[in-house]
Amino acid sequence: MALLDVSGYKYRPRPNSASQFGFKQTHFLDRSIHYSFGTKCQEFAVPVGVDPSTFLKSCSCEDGVSIDLNHGTTTLAFKFRHGVIVAVDSRASAGKYIASQDVDKVIEINPYLLGTMSGSAADCQYWERLLAKECRLYKLRNKERISVSAASKLLCNMMLGYRGMGLSMGSMICGWDKQGPGLYYVDDNGTRLSGRMFSTGCGNSFAYGIVDSGYREDMTVEEAYELGRRGIAHATHRDAYSGGVVNLYHMQEDGWIKVCKEDVSELIHRYKKGMF
Amino acid sequence: MALQNVCGLQHPPLFPEWSAPLSQSFMPEESTHLFGGGVQHGGAFSARLPGRGALSPLEFYMPISEYLTQSPINFGQISLSSAPKNFLNNNIDIIHPSLPCISLPPPTPCSISPSVPLPFTLSHGTTTLGFAFQGGVIAAADTRSSCAGQVACPNAPKVLPIHSHLVGTTSGTSADCALWKRILSRELRLYQLRHHRRLSTGGAAKLLSHMLHPFKGTELCVAATLCGWDGGGEKDENHAITQVTESDSSSQSTAVCKSKSQQVVTARSGMCGPRVVYVCSDGLRLQGELFSVGSGSPYAYSILDSGVHWGMSAQEAACVAREAVYRATHRDAYSGNNVDLYHVTAEGWRRRERENLKDEYYREKERERKRVAERKNEKKGV
Repeated sequence: MALLDVSGYKYRPRPNSASQFGFKQTHFLDRSIHYSFGTKCQEFAVPVGVDPSTFLKSCSCEDGVSIDLNHGTTTLAFKFRHGVIVAVDSRASAGKYIASQDVDKVIEINPYLLGTMSGSAADCQYWERLLAKECRLYKLRNKERISVSAASKLLCNMMLGYRGMGLSMGSMICGWDKQGPGLYYVDDNGTRLSGRMFSTGCGNSFAYGIVDSGYREDMTVEEAYELGRRGIAHATHRDAYSGGVVNLYHMQEDGWIKVCKEDVSELIHRYKKGMF
Repeated sequence: MALQNVCGLQHPPLFPEWSAPLSQSFMPEESTHLFGGGVQHGGAFSARLPGRGALSPLEFYMPISEYLTQSPINFGQISLSSAPKNFLNNNIDIIHPSLPCISLPPPTPCSISPSVPLPFTLSHGTTTLGFAFQGGVIAAADTRSSCAGQVACPNAPKVLPIHSHLVGTTSGTSADCALWKRILSRELRLYQLRHHRRLSTGGAAKLLSHMLHPFKGTELCVAATLCGWDGGGEKDENHAITQVTESDSSSQSTAVCKSKSQQVVTARSGMCGPRVVYVCSDGLRLQGELFSVGSGSPYAYSILDSGVHWGMSAQEAACVAREAVYRATHRDAYSGNNVDLYHVTAEGWRRRERENLKDEYYREKERERKRVAERKNEKKGV
């Protein structure tokens, strides 16, 4: 699929053969000289007659079966003078069952771009890998790295294509491009916001309290690491759907580094030593 | 009514609307039912069958079970035939789930509230918190009262003093909270008059919880944190104070830490001292050291978790409480305006000046600006 795009192969599907890329008829253009944004065709073939939005509405009403799509995690990211700090927890839950305590919720798109994941794990992983593919293609075609703004816009447009069909994804795209450190929040509704600080997931309110309180524009790097760790640790302390370890990344001018991976129970024990 | 109880007078109630309108015989109110231990009080409700005559003033009328089968989201919807007589001339229609079939002919309805669907799912739109530490209890809350997405009152007091050593924070429906706080104050005052001592915080919480129990399953919504100082006589208070001074002056080394924590444990779990209990109209009653209630509570919890510890000073405690409410009001739409702070010690409660958080926001911005400028100058100097 990617090779077809890059080589500009002209493909015209036969009228009566089932298109494997969806029921919309699409034509592959010669792409070698164009900026290409967004996926040209729908990624999934939606069976005729099934309407995902009404199905989901019926699932979330009061009486009867209710499927609660919650973003069961805590992730946070904030910009400061020396870059962007990204901190995430590592718990994956399926209802009230903890499926895993060691999930990677940050996808390393390229050495200058990171994406966090919250919401449905499957949706996040798939769409962000797709975003990674698009970013790589952009770099190959245009011989320069994609900007954070453009990358987040790509993801946002992918989400808008499936709006109302039950995707569940709350992601933060963090990077460093020509304009400096960049941080965007992208949602499954198609929300795309640029900001200084975001936190997603059901533990986000706990993280907001800590980071709002401790944020200083001119923090040192160590202080920023500590703030990110504290935010996640306190959120996992109070939120049942967050836990595991804190994965901390620091986005610098020459790329991101993974700072640490610390168990939250040890962190909480350290912070609350005076209380026991 | 209260005076009747205290005096032990035995005559029919003077105000007919407070008793069963259809009962023919009046029984003297048994004054022993209305105070003290929760179990007795709770028992009083279910023991009172309607046929038995004069009900205590806290008895409410129950409509027929049709109300129970209707969706609870349809607020105030009752059928005319089963409209109950209103208590205290307000529009609360109340049911008693443990008495589903009442063989009374329906009383004349006073006023029927028209069926009004709830504008949004009721969430406790507020931020209140209470925590205990060595120097007493801090209770703090914001002052925004919201209704249907608008601010109904920017200066609503959400921390209500109940008696000299007990303060309650309120969350949920303002009307319900105000009413039940007054009822609780009255009952505690009666207890104090009869028994010559104050009821403990735990006892008050139990009393409130049992008074709210008959309304479980209705739209009554009260989530209160009772913060108080239990102190028996003078002897108890002295004991508490000496324990406090010992724990203050002990050093931080690990060798002494264990003994300190032992002392601290005895001070905490002793019969006197600071106490925080959370009571909810669902029936939940929890004793603990730190509670935050309301839509802004997650924002406050993280700050309280990181800042509160037993050995903190009163100044620190007030700071942490203010910061927690401030951060919650910053992020939560249903909390805001001012912050109220009460500090309960062995001498009683003291109220801090109400602070407007808008000023706090600008002050913080100013502080930030100055600090950044200072650091820049320092760097230049070095």
